[in-house]
Amino acid sequence: MKAAADEIAQRLLAGDIGAGARAIRWLDDRDQRGGEVLSVLYPHTGRAQVVGITGPPGAGKSTLTDILVAEWRRRGQRVAVIAVDPSSPFTGGAILGDRVRMARHALDPGVFIRSLGTRGQAGGLSRSTHEAALVFDAMGYDIVVVETVGVGQDEIDVVNLAHTTVIVAVPGLGDEIQAVKAGIMEAGDIFVVNKADREGFEATRRQMELMLHLRAQAMPERREVPLLTAVASRGEGAQGIVDAIAAHRDQLHAAGDFGRRNHLRAREQVVSIAREILLERALAASGDAIYPEVEARRLDPYSAARQLVDAILERTAAT
Amino acid sequence: MTSAPHRPLRVLLAKLGMDTHTVGVTIIGHALREAGMEVIFTGLKQTPEMVCSAAIQEDVDVVGISTLSAGHTRSLPKLARLLREAGAEDKLLVAGGVIPEEDKPVLEEAGVHRIFTMGADTRDIVDYLRGWWAERQAQDAA
Repeated sequence: MKAAADEIAQRLLAGDIGAGARAIRWLDDRDQRGGEVLSVLYPHTGRAQVVGITGPPGAGKSTLTDILVAEWRRRGQRVAVIAVDPSSPFTGGAILGDRVRMARHALDPGVFIRSLGTRGQAGGLSRSTHEAALVFDAMGYDIVVVETVGVGQDEIDVVNLAHTTVIVAVPGLGDEIQAVKAGIMEAGDIFVVNKADREGFEATRRQMELMLHLRAQAMPERREVPLLTAVASRGEGAQGIVDAIAAHRDQLHAAGDFGRRNHLRAREQVVSIAREILLERALAASGDAIYPEVEARRLDPYSAARQLVDAILERTAAT
Repeated sequence: MTSAPHRPLRVLLAKLGMDTHTVGVTIIGHALREAGMEVIFTGLKQTPEMVCSAAIQEDVDVVGISTLSAGHTRSLPKLARLLREAGAEDKLLVAGGVIPEEDKPVLEEAGVHRIFTMGADTRDIVDYLRGWWAERQAQDAA
């Protein structure tokens, strides 16, 4: 077992696609070999720029990602894409369809596209998105794009992972303010209004402009952020967005923030993994006796949860 | 990683060549999703090279090809060969759609593991994949 993990780690560090793909599978499946690979490749990470692309469902995130990848390739950069789609909370199954819009890159050896189901993770990312980004980083990709699931109002976990977060909005989602709820507006480093040929574009752009202006007043330490437009389906707008992403990376480096974001990311990652392990162990150790009490309305859920935590902590203290 | 492993079956569904009939493959995709599998679609007009590359990048367990126009006697054996050459012969290659009886031996000989023809029940496909997956996992554990 151990030997297999070492071999996969060495092969992926040499750029082997199949080895990288297998490592991500192990990490996503919570196979212990994934952790072994990660410990070997982790010292080789920290160079790639992780770019988050997020926005509401139907904003054209996949199509936009497709034209950005084409532009990065034109500039000679190697790109990995992590495309996240929702898993069914009932069956665990998922339809992962983001590759369809990026099919033209299928035979380009400088592009690696991986689809991941959320597998129970809330917040717009999948359970193993952080780890997959590390694998691509160690494989030497210059850019790692993380395309989130279509997000609603505050599913912005991607900002904890990405160096640069691109928020994609579109005209015609009804209430213009809907696309620009507070949490999302505060998260973005670059804003894009896609489908700029649609009716209502001007209104959406003006609304975004106003929100960004208010944000700049409230948070003067944060620079003015670019507001760009695109018609991804026609391939329009990629150059300006890729320029803005490169400029943001340069800003982060100049301010010493590239490393700081890596640091925040590391912290976020450790806490998130710890939370998962703790919860799983705690629930496994706690038994099922308390749930029928709640079901029978003899105990309320809050008291039950508190009893559960107390019991777990007592057990931990005793061992 | 000390949390519990969880391994849903990952299936790539693709159409080769100029065939643009997507109803069947879409229904199969949703049936597999309902059965708890992760289904990756690649889109239309795929070449065997594109499907092979996607299967490796996605590290799927199963590659399912839907074919409703001629050409499968060339494209499917080619895909099987590409997967072998890429060291991905552990992936299960299955096909479905309009495949004449007389083509079956050729395809099976070339490395297509199972062929589902028109009218196949989605439950049979799910059962077959589950059975294969259970066997594979038992082998891996051994």
